[in-house]
Amino acid sequence: MLQPASATDPLKAVAPRGSGEIRLVNLTKSFGNLQAVKSINLSVPHGSYCCMIGPSGCGKTTILRMIAGHETPTSGEVFIGDQMVVGQAPVQRGTALMFQSYALFPHLSVRDNVAFNLKMRGEAKAARYARVDEMLSLVHMTAFADRMPAQLSGGQQQRVALARALITNPRVLLLDEPLSALDEFLRLRMRGELKRLQSRLGITFVHVTHTQPEAIALADTVVVMNQGSIEQAASPHDVYANPRSTYVARFMGGQNVLTGKLRATDDDAALVDGPGGARFRVPLGGTRPGAGSSVNLAVRRDLIDLRREQGAGDPKENSLHGVVETVEYQGIFFKVTLSRIAGEEFIVVEPEAAFFAHPVAPGDAVVVSWGDESVRLLEPDRAAGDAIQPYADDTSS
Amino acid sequence: MTKAHGRRPWTFYMLAALFTLFVIFLYGPMISIFVLSFQGPTGGLVFPLRGVSLTWFGALFGQARTGDIGGAFSRSLPLALIVLLITVLVSVTAGFAFRRRFVGSTAIFYAAIASLIVPGLVLSIGILVTFRFLDLPARWYGSALGAHLSWTLPFGLLIMFAVLGRLSPAYEEAAYDLGASRWQAVRHVVVPIVFPGMIAVALFGFTLSYDEFPRSWLTVGPRNTLPIEIWTMTTNVTSPALYALGTVTTAISLTAIALAIGSIAYIQRKRAMRL
Repeated sequence: MLQPASATDPLKAVAPRGSGEIRLVNLTKSFGNLQAVKSINLSVPHGSYCCMIGPSGCGKTTILRMIAGHETPTSGEVFIGDQMVVGQAPVQRGTALMFQSYALFPHLSVRDNVAFNLKMRGEAKAARYARVDEMLSLVHMTAFADRMPAQLSGGQQQRVALARALITNPRVLLLDEPLSALDEFLRLRMRGELKRLQSRLGITFVHVTHTQPEAIALADTVVVMNQGSIEQAASPHDVYANPRSTYVARFMGGQNVLTGKLRATDDDAALVDGPGGARFRVPLGGTRPGAGSSVNLAVRRDLIDLRREQGAGDPKENSLHGVVETVEYQGIFFKVTLSRIAGEEFIVVEPEAAFFAHPVAPGDAVVVSWGDESVRLLEPDRAAGDAIQPYADDTSS
Repeated sequence: MTKAHGRRPWTFYMLAALFTLFVIFLYGPMISIFVLSFQGPTGGLVFPLRGVSLTWFGALFGQARTGDIGGAFSRSLPLALIVLLITVLVSVTAGFAFRRRFVGSTAIFYAAIASLIVPGLVLSIGILVTFRFLDLPARWYGSALGAHLSWTLPFGLLIMFAVLGRLSPAYEEAAYDLGASRWQAVRHVVVPIVFPGMIAVALFGFTLSYDEFPRSWLTVGPRNTLPIEIWTMTTNVTSPALYALGTVTTAISLTAIALAIGSIAYIQRKRAMRL
């Protein structure tokens, strides 16, 4: 959507001031008795794209608002660049917040909405409008400069909100669920545009979302939040493929979580007794759980071999018996859901070709098996709220 | 609505007749008074109309026969305008204050609203008694002004609650985020957004004061406001000048309402509220 820079490069209009590195140090926020954010530490490098993801009420928006300066931390520090910004007004921090509702001023035209910051700074009208034109061309809204916000579609309003935020030359752009108000098609398109804009501007983006595919597609760093704490902050690939905790494995989807008892450990693997006499061999990560303890393990849904059962026999290591409950065709792959194994959902995702090589139907008795590389031990949940269900178990969309 | 829907039920005609009666009852007397105010010089207080003239409008402003209409108007209009100003100022600022819960806010709210329930005449007597006790003179710009405010402020406050209740705090935060000071946020964002609501408050302040009778009755002092003057006239004036007065005051009220509604409509259209 972003075209190559024209004669007047709109990017030159955005000259960020200083480093947009963000550091949160023991940041805590309480509302009355409720601890919304529990002493978190996080570092977001300058010029990177950070997505904070978690269910409603996990504290992600509160963190965003504390970085923006619309919420005062109960304790702890927020650094942007090398400045401690707690106590500073939003405009002193070099941050700009794009509100979930966009909060475009209904009484001002698109042009005057975008010009608002310059007007507050007392810039002359001609200079203001020249800069506004540059910003509007950056977001491809030049043709709509004279419209009122109520005359714009959701996607257009979002572009205006983006231009209005960027005209302040922020070093950090904060986005509060920016895509949640858009329909599916527009969401995917704007997602791509946000990413391109961020890499062209080279400033730090912090983006709050509750949609897993959005976080995975956009972020350099995904921060998975749970009840006011950070469960894992890592690259999209790591949170998805190597979830640290049971919570992350369940929340991000893409993994089946199994529970078992640790029988023994050998040099590089844990031997685990699973449900129904199943035996698992799991490579040891950093953790060294003691024998006899209860452990959770994660199995990649897309790296599982699914076969119809061929007569009885001793169950092999790293395999399970089950019954197919549903088969969903999802375009380029099949999603096969087995009836619950020890109370836990078990899903296998197979590419079309693999599925048609050994097709299964609901009601079939099947054996699933996997190799060492598909399974890993999970750290037990720190938070007591283990009961929190994943937001979505879909690996699609 | 159309033939496709078949015949309308009998209740439609019954309710239509009822509504027609209501409209006649509401506007019939006003139209009668409006017509009779153009009574010829020899005409009386009742139909038929004997010629058409502006005689009685002229008589309004000659003090001799009809009482001090001009004087009463010259008090009622400024009084209504002062009430308008104070009502807007206090309601809007109080509305802002109530957006944040503060200690005792509920008690203060109920105390303010209570004066809507107190009968106007009782309040009027109370104010007069209090002024006497304090040895203060009752005047239209003093005791009557206070009496009117006791009526218009709760109304204004309730309207502002409704208006500000729909104002998302995100607008102010967006203003701060874009470098506005607190005052700039109020001046450039909040006030323009709630301006139609402020016009409504102004309209209430003006009209409630302009035609207020019970609260003015005892508090107005030696010089009458218009409603009191009209009431006095009904007891001793027996000419169509009374009707002319009715026509003029109604016209002023209608103008005020038309101005208010017109400006609200203009603002709404400018913002193209299509959502």
